[in-house]
Amino acid sequence: MPDWKQIIRKKLRMFRVCSPEFTEELAAHLEDSYEALLGEGWAAEVAFQHTIGQIEGRGRVWLVLRFLQEEFMTGLIREVALPGLLTSAAAGLFYWALAVDHISPQVMWLVGGQSPMWWWCLLPIWGALGALLSHRNGGSRLQRIAASLLPSWVMGISILLMFAVGFTLSGLGSHYWLVSARLESLGLVPPGFVVIPAACSLLGAGIAEVSTKKFRRLA
Amino acid sequence: MASVNAQIKRGSAELAVLTLLAEQPLHGYEIAKQIEAQTGGVLRFDMASLYPMLHRWERKSWVNAEWQTLPNGRRRRCYRLTASGRKQIAPLRAQWRAFFQALESVTGFQNA
Repeated sequence: MPDWKQIIRKKLRMFRVCSPEFTEELAAHLEDSYEALLGEGWAAEVAFQHTIGQIEGRGRVWLVLRFLQEEFMTGLIREVALPGLLTSAAAGLFYWALAVDHISPQVMWLVGGQSPMWWWCLLPIWGALGALLSHRNGGSRLQRIAASLLPSWVMGISILLMFAVGFTLSGLGSHYWLVSARLESLGLVPPGFVVIPAACSLLGAGIAEVSTKKFRRLA
Repeated sequence: MASVNAQIKRGSAELAVLTLLAEQPLHGYEIAKQIEAQTGGVLRFDMASLYPMLHRWERKSWVNAEWQTLPNGRRRRCYRLTASGRKQIAPLRAQWRAFFQALESVTGFQNA
């Protein structure tokens, strides 16, 4: 008997993170399909090929698309956008407050300037907030992660837009030093304002995930 | 038997599965098989159509899902309709009835 769990884990890796139960359930479905075909008198190899066809090629693409559509797009406003915007607003206000009050973060020099270390340190709280709000509104795991990461998305898109506009305005040929400075900062800015904040927010979302599971178990 | 357009099939899926679950709790494969058998193969659910939909319903508390161990020792995730899920059936039925009546008045397909 083929190990369908193992096959699903190999073929549909993304579901292991997004929904481990989904993986197990699909494996059970394939197991039942395979056995039904054997029961109808199909040869084992043909039954196996037919069954695995459900998660290969078009079947696989369709499964991933439908999963993303149902898990992510359905209830996008309530379960991702609203919690994510609240998270972004909280993180943005907090960053602004740190900058205005000069309590910030001139603690660590990392990427050619002051790195917003305090901001990073407290970002897990906002990440957890986004994930919890999404959870409260019935968000799936994927939606909870997306909600907690929204501030980093906003930052990332803004930075890309700023660079695109900057390049267009300054012109690529005329100011070589300006262009090279921009290119240099394109490599330096995203880690501090996109990658590290994303990691911090994700940490918060992870903590929220573990805590809600524990609370549910206690309840 | 003629096959049914994917859009129509998708729209009718909710009503078909909710009605089936209103009778008894079932796991995914059983749902797919029973619908296929009861409709003579006209409606068929593949994994991509069925499971993401069931998971969405679970989040909306239309169904409760729990792992059960079958007599053969295998674990299957059974879906049980909740009161909230049961409430969805009547409006969906009314919508489909209205749709078929409207279609019938234009095409006369029942007399065709």
